[in-house]
Amino acid sequence: MNAPTPPPSDSTPPLAPPAAGAATKPGTTAVSSAPGAGAAAGSVDARKTYGVGDAQVHALDGVTVSFETGKFTAIMGPSGSGKSTLLHCLAGLDTLTSGATYIGDTYLASLDDKALTELRRTKVGFIFQAFNLIPTLTADENIRLPMMLGGESGDAAWIDQVVTTVGLGDRLKHRPSELSGGQQQRVAVARALASQPQIIFADEPTGNLDSVTGAEILDFMRRAVSEFGQTIVMVTHDPVAASYADRIVFVGDGKITDEMVDPTPDQVIDHLRNWA
Amino acid sequence: MSAGSTALIARKSIRARWGRTLAIGLAITAGVSFVVGSFVLADSLRATFNQLFEELGQDVDLEVRGAQEFDTDDARDPIDVAIADDVAAVEGVAIVEPTLQRYAQLIGDDGDVITPAGGPTLGVSWLGDDGIQGVTIKEGTPPVGPDQLAIDKATADTENLDVGDTIAYLTDVGTFEGTITATVGLGSGDSFGGAQLVALDLDTALVHFGANGMVDAIDIALVDDAEQASVQRAIAEILPPRTEVVTGEQVAEETADQVNEFVNVFGTGLLIFAFITAFVSAFIINNVFQITIGQRLRELALLRAVGASAKQVRRMITFEAFALGVIATVAGIAGGVLVARGLIFAFDAAGAGFPDTTTVLAARTIVMAALVGVGITMLSVIVPARKAGRIPPVAALRPEVGFAAMRARRIVAGVVLTLAGGALFMVGLFVRPGGTVGLIALAGGGALVLFLGVASVSSTIARPVTRVIGWPIEKLFKMPGALARENVARAPRRTSSSAAALMVGVALVSATAVFASSLRSSLVDTLESAITADYIVTDQSFQGLSPVVSETLAEVPELEAVTPVRAISGQVEGDTKNFGAVDAVSFEKLVDPDLKAGSIADLGLDELLVHVDPASDLDLEVGSTVDVLYQNGVTGTLTVAGIYGDATFGNWLIGLDTLENVSTAPARDFFVIGKLGEGVDPADGDAAVFAAMEPYPQANVQTNAEFLASQEAQINQLLIIITLLLAFAIAIAILGISITLALGVFERTREIGLLRAVGMNKRQTRRSVRWEAVIVSMFGALIGIVLGTFLGVVLSLAVPDDVISTLAFNPMIIGLILIAAVIAGLFAALYPSYKASNMNVLEAIATE
Repeated sequence: MNAPTPPPSDSTPPLAPPAAGAATKPGTTAVSSAPGAGAAAGSVDARKTYGVGDAQVHALDGVTVSFETGKFTAIMGPSGSGKSTLLHCLAGLDTLTSGATYIGDTYLASLDDKALTELRRTKVGFIFQAFNLIPTLTADENIRLPMMLGGESGDAAWIDQVVTTVGLGDRLKHRPSELSGGQQQRVAVARALASQPQIIFADEPTGNLDSVTGAEILDFMRRAVSEFGQTIVMVTHDPVAASYADRIVFVGDGKITDEMVDPTPDQVIDHLRNWA
Repeated sequence: MSAGSTALIARKSIRARWGRTLAIGLAITAGVSFVVGSFVLADSLRATFNQLFEELGQDVDLEVRGAQEFDTDDARDPIDVAIADDVAAVEGVAIVEPTLQRYAQLIGDDGDVITPAGGPTLGVSWLGDDGIQGVTIKEGTPPVGPDQLAIDKATADTENLDVGDTIAYLTDVGTFEGTITATVGLGSGDSFGGAQLVALDLDTALVHFGANGMVDAIDIALVDDAEQASVQRAIAEILPPRTEVVTGEQVAEETADQVNEFVNVFGTGLLIFAFITAFVSAFIINNVFQITIGQRLRELALLRAVGASAKQVRRMITFEAFALGVIATVAGIAGGVLVARGLIFAFDAAGAGFPDTTTVLAARTIVMAALVGVGITMLSVIVPARKAGRIPPVAALRPEVGFAAMRARRIVAGVVLTLAGGALFMVGLFVRPGGTVGLIALAGGGALVLFLGVASVSSTIARPVTRVIGWPIEKLFKMPGALARENVARAPRRTSSSAAALMVGVALVSATAVFASSLRSSLVDTLESAITADYIVTDQSFQGLSPVVSETLAEVPELEAVTPVRAISGQVEGDTKNFGAVDAVSFEKLVDPDLKAGSIADLGLDELLVHVDPASDLDLEVGSTVDVLYQNGVTGTLTVAGIYGDATFGNWLIGLDTLENVSTAPARDFFVIGKLGEGVDPADGDAAVFAAMEPYPQANVQTNAEFLASQEAQINQLLIIITLLLAFAIAIAILGISITLALGVFERTREIGLLRAVGMNKRQTRRSVRWEAVIVSMFGALIGIVLGTFLGVVLSLAVPDDVISTLAFNPMIIGLILIAAVIAGLFAALYPSYKASNMNVLEAIATE
């Protein structure tokens, strides 16, 4: 893999930009204006501590970071660096010990479970490493799941477009167990895109895939950012995967250690080698 | 919020997990089937008998019979057959048919009597073609004269008897022979409720059955344009005293009421066990839901992550349960109808001789089925659904977080439930607020709460107890045994929940066992000390023994004392009492009634022996007098001659002469007791007594030891019947262990794959799963035995001392239960162990 920022493929149909910009979507429980104006999400002095006394572990040790709207950002770091914890806290899946995280202009700490649920459904998309899909629902139903949960049908034209782009054809009526790993991840990306969220969080989305299939998924994510103006934050430890991003944030021992803009795989590998 | 999406996901989930759905569904269906079956059976029997009696009574407009002063279960006094002629002369009367029912039994070619499977042997009179009492001809012509008889078609069929055959029959007054001229039935049925029937014409019946010109009743049909009420009045005017004329409708209703009373008791009994079965299924359903929520943890967390609210997740799980409950209930209703039909068929095959039964599925039955089926499912899912709602979204990525969130503090609640249940149970039994209803509600409800509590608390001791149970298994089976032991011990909560259903079943069996053993040993103690007689002769004809039996016995020289025991109902201060009548001089030698005051042998005419309880209730002492109104309207005054403490022969005893003075009915004996003379060799005595009783097959002679054994056997039978009724619940409990284990195997797919990869063979795999099942079922059985013994002891203590005076335990039953638990475990493991050993090793390891 050596194509850093692959250009849009000619074979795919042109896609319209999202019907409504993330920022103009009506907020659900806007509490106060967030500090990072213009940022899709971010954290301020985020700390997360496990255990007590001598056994205390600082998974996050004062992380302040923001993620620009319409950009593809990768978070890199070795195992145990706190990169996944950061992502979970940013996404409202996990809570901080102190500090704050925000999505758009909403502080997550101020939300109760109901509001957080609403936020996840309408403003956040998720792509996990594995187990992204409900095994009992078909691919098509999985893509529409967030809208179905909200009792909405969503933007039909947009969903059709996303579904077409996934390129599963008649396999859309199949259950996840009948799809390959790559096909399953494409469905997961489509689901994240379908509700036109303000931001998509991806946790090692290609970690379980072979390099060719992984490249397909990353390509797909890249295009979602470049062509539809989607915002994506992705945790990865793969330099090649990270090189698809517009910007890389490096995390180590619960802190932000460095940043890189418009990376290539070689630059990333060099950076990691120096770091070690 | 969208109800549509919740329903969709729930529906898909049910469809995608057929095995599990089927298992839960089966548990619900079984419980509902039993409940529905009990209702349908009782309703159908009631409807059938009501219809039958209505049909039988449709030709009878009026009936003349002996009057009773108050309602008793006693037979009515017979009436003079001559009344029939007077009644026939009344204007408006078309047909009179005197009816008569006495003892008669067919004798086979081998000279032995033919005994029906379970019914009585009856001799009846029959008017033939003009008869209106419901006897219908199946084949042939009615018997006329002393050399002809008709028999019921059911007996004819089973004994290969045909019209034209000659057969002998035995009655109270001798043996007769006749030609079968007809086979008959009752209405449309071939049988008379399982009875063996000999029908003779009236004149022959009066002689051959030894009726002395007396009949039971006179059935009357009126001419077409007669007015029932005015004919009834006209007949009433010519009747002698202590006879009455009532409408056919009233007779049909009274007969139906008697049968309904029996059907109600029977139906209620079945229903209790049906509810126990449903209760046990609730444990299984709850456990399976609990486990599957754990298995679907990541899926549920993923739903939360993509925007499902906790409420939606809860609703989804609840909806799944609801849909399942509804489907299983519908299946259960169908199953229940089949169960009821099957039981009726089985009773019929056993000789009950039911007429063609209709199947009655009442609206009430369907409502109850829905309450039980959907109700237990919804109750079972409350806690699992709440747990599902607590799963945080992040569990989609870190399942361990989800399991931590689902863990609930059950111990405190369990201890509270256990103590509250135990307290309710004891208050219900000992304090009995609100009488019988309070007793049943509190004791029954308390036991249920206690079961829930113990099921919950038992998880705390599951680990040490199962380790002990597993020790010999590990010693015996090495590695597979050790794995089985570890697997049971590592999830104590699951072990205790899957054993809980079996625990309930075993507890009920053990409680019954303790109760029955105590009852048996108390009864034996009482009988041993009370009955000093050497021979007890009981009646097998359901008609009472003819006095000829006791007279014959009294003439046996080897016997020193013989007395029959007769009875009559009488009212004392408005309450109906049963008076036993004996020959006092003999009675004193035959029975030790624990005399407190007065004497037995001196019991004279119009004197009375009374038990201490009614004596103290009514302030009676030796010399007091009691006014009695007998059921036939005769009154008398009895003087207390003695007071005794043993109630084996009832609370009120009079002399035979007193009874003869007041009774207007022919004497029938319930039983006869006799004692060998001083120095007579028991072997000689036995020979003499059995020889003397040879001509009376309806009289069953037992020695004292045989009698005690037969009484014990009856109590054992009770224990067996209750165990059989609990078998359904226990079968469901075993199914529950099987499901839990299968789910456990599924969860450990990867682990089992790994073990197989490093060299465990199929046989060892099967073995480890099998012994895991045995340890779980042994655990359930042990807890059940402990709890059941406690319940049985409390129950026995709550029963009055004159019924249960000593506690007794039966180690053999406990041993049997434990052996049965091992077998149950092996049985439950059949499918899971097969599943575990037939995994594809590579696929298993690749499973996440």
